[in-house]
Amino acid sequence: MKVLIIIPAYNEAQNIEKTVKDVKENTNYDYIVINDCSKDNTKEVCEKNNFNMLSLPINYGLTSGIQLGMKYAYQNGYDIAIQFDGDGQHQAKYLKDLVSKIENDNIDIAIGSRYVTEKKPVTSRMLGSRLITAIIKLTTFRTIKDPTSGMRAYNKKAILEFNCNASLTPEPDTIVYMIKKGLKVEEVQVEMKDREFGESYLNPIKSIKYMVNMLLSIIFIRAITRKNK
Amino acid sequence: MSVTLRIILIIGSFIAFVLCIKKIKQSKLKVESSVTWFLGSILLVLMSIFSNAVAWISEKLGFISPVNFVFLIIIAFLLIQTFIDNIRITELNEKIKNLNHYIALSENKNTKK
Repeated sequence: MKVLIIIPAYNEAQNIEKTVKDVKENTNYDYIVINDCSKDNTKEVCEKNNFNMLSLPINYGLTSGIQLGMKYAYQNGYDIAIQFDGDGQHQAKYLKDLVSKIENDNIDIAIGSRYVTEKKPVTSRMLGSRLITAIIKLTTFRTIKDPTSGMRAYNKKAILEFNCNASLTPEPDTIVYMIKKGLKVEEVQVEMKDREFGESYLNPIKSIKYMVNMLLSIIFIRAITRKNK
Repeated sequence: MSVTLRIILIIGSFIAFVLCIKKIKQSKLKVESSVTWFLGSILLVLMSIFSNAVAWISEKLGFISPVNFVFLIIIAFLLIQTFIDNIRITELNEKIKNLNHYIALSENKNTKK
């Protein structure tokens, strides 16, 4: 099985070296760093270390980055593509679990979840996560405990979906879309670290915007997706 | 409809018409995308010339005043226009994104050689 790890990076000069090192040391999979036109010297750091990199000339956001990774995976005939954050929150030692889940259990998408066996903490941040879980349950009758997780493995079928549909994002609404399309989605227990350097993408206004987008997308668009014949 | 409104509508349509033609000549506007503006201004002129017909229709539809009916038509026209523009912007966005991806992919290929 050819496995590709997609590492989107935006202003991650301080984290990217460590992340790629972690991936290289703990796995023997291929990887690709997607530099989304970072303003800091992420590109230079990657070039200096000779990392396999796709460097976008215009900043277009995470969705575009993941889509580009999926294009690369499709064009180079990879069997599995994994999205893996470049900010040091994800740990590469869990990637094997995701791959083996897809290989052995005949699953299409494996989500690295923090809360399969662990309990979800009751914090304001997790409120959004709970709400999305509830909406997914309502629309697909499936329980996804950690829908916002950014660590996901997609098999060939899911990679093809990403290449055919330009509206797919690396967000929870895509999970609903994939389930509705008849793909098998399962969660795998992983651990995540807090980020060490740099700023998190989310602030209150962005969080609210994100939630509104997700709810609208799941309820009005993804929930009425038809299965492939 | 009052005479003032009719005159304003005719003058407005005339200005829109001339502006469209001028911009097309300067190639700042495409003929295909200006069709809605031409049709819109022609519609306004027709409405101000045949104001009796507009008054009759608006009365049958239950509007208090024909002016309200005219404004409704103009608002509907504007909404449709912004919606079309919105779709165009999204299309352009998608095209730029694909170009962006293409550049990144070919750059990666070149460095590997």
